[in-house]
Amino acid sequence: MSATGPALPPPDALTAPFWEECRRGVLAIAACADCGHRFLPPGPCCPRCWSRRLAVQEACGRGRVETFAVYRRTYHPALPAPYVVALIALDEGPRLISNVVGCAAAEVAVGMPVAVRFEKAGDRVLPRFAPAGDQGGAS
Amino acid sequence: MIAGVGHTAFGRLAPRTAWHLEAEAAAAAVADAGLRPADVDGLLTDPGPAQGILDGITPHFLRLGAQLGLDPDYVGSEILGGAGSVAVVGRAALAVEAGLCDVCLCVYGDSPLATPRSFEYGRGDEAVFGFFGAVGLHALAARRHMHRYGTRPEHLGEVAIAARAHAARTPHAEKRRPLTMAEYLASEPVVEPLRKLDCCLVSDGAAAVVVTTEERARDLRARPVRILGQGQAHSLSTYASPEHFERLPAARCGPKTLARAGLGPGDLDVVLLYDCFTIVVLLQLEDYGFCAAGESGPFVAGGRIAPGGSLCVNPSGGLLAEGYGGGMLHVIEAVRQLRGEAGERQKADAATALVSGHGLGMNTHATLVLGR
Repeated sequence: MSATGPALPPPDALTAPFWEECRRGVLAIAACADCGHRFLPPGPCCPRCWSRRLAVQEACGRGRVETFAVYRRTYHPALPAPYVVALIALDEGPRLISNVVGCAAAEVAVGMPVAVRFEKAGDRVLPRFAPAGDQGGAS
Repeated sequence: MIAGVGHTAFGRLAPRTAWHLEAEAAAAAVADAGLRPADVDGLLTDPGPAQGILDGITPHFLRLGAQLGLDPDYVGSEILGGAGSVAVVGRAALAVEAGLCDVCLCVYGDSPLATPRSFEYGRGDEAVFGFFGAVGLHALAARRHMHRYGTRPEHLGEVAIAARAHAARTPHAEKRRPLTMAEYLASEPVVEPLRKLDCCLVSDGAAAVVVTTEERARDLRARPVRILGQGQAHSLSTYASPEHFERLPAARCGPKTLARAGLGPGDLDVVLLYDCFTIVVLLQLEDYGFCAAGESGPFVAGGRIAPGGSLCVNPSGGLLAEGYGGGMLHVIEAVRQLRGEAGERQKADAATALVSGHGLGMNTHATLVLGR
């Protein structure tokens, strides 16, 4: 199957800086300069206090699988099944949708410690996650 | 009363976009009122056309109203996904009660088979990870429930089997052939842990409801059904909420709506739960208080929500077997049961019913309580 197909949605003005950081191998999270709340995805204001004074922090890249799903159908030619979509809770708190890679789908488990692994996909570098063993993960 | 106002500068404001500007205006209005963000428990929006909301479509009420030749006193279309039908009936009741209109027509319609559009794409940046479609989203919820509470595929299967058994007694239902557990378990995986038979039907169809005043209804042909209570709750913070894949917003609006109607879960004769996926039925049984959190799997085992079971859930077969009616068919089945017009599937002496709608990225929820 060719890796072409309908264009996937491009980054928007608010998330473009996040994707630029991924190119540099940095997982960036948004942080409120007023209340300290850390969050993803980046937005126009802090979702807790609505302050528009926002900063960017570098995440350590470690987290845990909160839940996951195994796609058995191919919905886009660039993303052939099977693959794992997961909700990852970063050690810093924010949660994001990503993929678990580097192990078989049958080995993925809720609660599994994972670490970020940047992978080139089309014109983006994606922050995907691979099993990390238990050292240094979220407690 | 209007308690606060706020706006941004107007003119050429690039590189700031509507998203930045809305956050500023929202903060200004709430500050003007002397309130805090946490005080806000309602949100109504009016997106300008450059936000893309109208791309390729005319507002639904404008197109349908023109085709029906109407010049009504009140209009609206709800963009709440699967909660839309329940929400428009609720909004019609408010409009009629406020005297804004007397006879409010509520219409759901779609033809995804005759006029297909792509449903595959996730929103924004999630699509690049292959996170497409409602089935993946609900698979995440199902996995979480299985992990946390030990829920098994057979529990989801009970929901699918019950829906088919109910539909067997519904002459207009699409899938009337009964289903066995072996067939369910052999069903093709789509996004694990969900199988094809965990997913609702994709149907062309339309359904409509007329809402009017009590006075007017008294003189009309059909036995009127009363709207005893309504409510909505939404989870827009999505993944930021630790409960997002474990509880639906129904856990908030369910008890409140039942209280407004003066009822508890045990007082409901018929329950119409939005069932786009089997897992959503399990979650709502917990959220509405029919069983405790985590116990919905064992609760449905043994046919408790199947015909003849102790709780009458989706007696017409629902989205899983009757047909995808956007939620309006759920409202209509509640009305039929309360009128005593449900034929072979009639719940004896049905006097109260609950109808739920659930939509978008598990973000929206609406509830109606009806009575005769």
